[in-house]
Amino acid sequence: MVAFRSSDTSARSTGLLLRCVLFALLAIIMMIVDKRYDHLGKIRRALSIVAYPAQVAVASPFEGWAWLRESVTTREALRADKARLEEQLRVAQFRLQRYEALEAESRRLRALRDNTAGVGARFLVGNVMDVDLDAFRERVLVDKGAHDGVYVGQAVLDAGGVFGQVARVGEMTSEVILISDAAHAIPVQDNRNGLRTIAVGTGDVSHLKLPYISTAADIVKGDLLVTSGLGGGFPAGYPVGTVTEVKRDPAQSLADVEVSPAAALDRDQELLFVWPAAGAAPEVSLTPATTKPATTPPPKPGEPVKPLEAAKK
Amino acid sequence: MMRDERIRRLPMVLSALGALTLAIVPLPALVDPFRPDFLVLVVFYWSIESPRAGGLTFAFVAGLCLDIIKGAVLGQHALALTLMAAWATNLRLRLRVFSVLSQSLTIFALLTGYQFILFWIDGATGNPVTSLGRWLAPVIGALIWPALVGLLSRLHER
Repeated sequence: MVAFRSSDTSARSTGLLLRCVLFALLAIIMMIVDKRYDHLGKIRRALSIVAYPAQVAVASPFEGWAWLRESVTTREALRADKARLEEQLRVAQFRLQRYEALEAESRRLRALRDNTAGVGARFLVGNVMDVDLDAFRERVLVDKGAHDGVYVGQAVLDAGGVFGQVARVGEMTSEVILISDAAHAIPVQDNRNGLRTIAVGTGDVSHLKLPYISTAADIVKGDLLVTSGLGGGFPAGYPVGTVTEVKRDPAQSLADVEVSPAAALDRDQELLFVWPAAGAAPEVSLTPATTKPATTPPPKPGEPVKPLEAAKK
Repeated sequence: MMRDERIRRLPMVLSALGALTLAIVPLPALVDPFRPDFLVLVVFYWSIESPRAGGLTFAFVAGLCLDIIKGAVLGQHALALTLMAAWATNLRLRLRVFSVLSQSLTIFALLTGYQFILFWIDGATGNPVTSLGRWLAPVIGALIWPALVGLLSRLHER
């Protein structure tokens, strides 16, 4: 039976109202300071250290279970796994041979055009922590933070393609916003014909959409979209997704295009943080700086790329 | 008097920590939208049961914890939780004599108000949540309210 036992019936409404207003004001001021000026970043980073043990505590049973399951795997399963991985490695090496030749060729061609779009140079592997942030936002918590040199706006990949970018950095952890988040946009280009556009998240991990494609544009089902590198947030040339549906309504000026992401957004455990290649020129030679999306901030001054670039000039 | 207050605070802190853990435990994607706001319910319970033990300070701190864990704008959950906890404190004398159904309905109203403030701040800060799923949490919260009160008052008696 639902019952409250307390005899605490003192009615202190005036004090209550006053404190309520005070706390509300404090909260509003905090929100404004947090949103407008970035002063609370340090406080937040310090507080994220406090939250870290709780997050680890919640994640560890799941990791322990995974470890236990892995350690009781049978010899048969391991052998099957090994055979499969060897097969994959063979295929990958075969592809890599071609890739190296292609990369050299592409570098020569880009040199001709005086445009060195950088493919990422340094990688760091991070693990997704089994912690839920918010059911209605596409974000994950990863176990690498400012301590490892991760910075806000950094591109994050997985084995399939582009996964997202770093939205917030803590000391030991960082929050990665997925490309499928409704607030995320990524500059892409069609790998078949170089058509450039922006892929916007939908809040659903299974698809993205291209809202700025005109009905006359040359885009068909099955086209591969790769990062264009415009805006400087993401390195160029990584797969983002495949076009799954193109709806053209002659009455509308824009087509309805759906894209299925290349990265396994809903089940990936290992992610790659990418640092742009040293000497990567700001990719602005293709178009004037109008296509820069709001969600990809330019690299921060503290980053290793800038000094090198400055030294070159 | 001092001693009396200390006895009251331990279950409050324990239940808040428990609720915070439940808020970040990973659930299958299918069940995830149905997760009630445990910490919010716990704050409401203590605001009604013994507002002197923690009161609005407790609500504000709990809200800040939610902000940090969920990566929201600092102060968002704190504002929503403080306002709704103040309302709950204001209603507490009436709530205690309400039937289970009326209590649940009141809690539903409080939770909806909480979600509405979050929704409004999300919109004002420029990253709105597009899905309708968040309006499910108040319903689930109101449904589990009687069970939660039973559990917490048992904890309180210890």
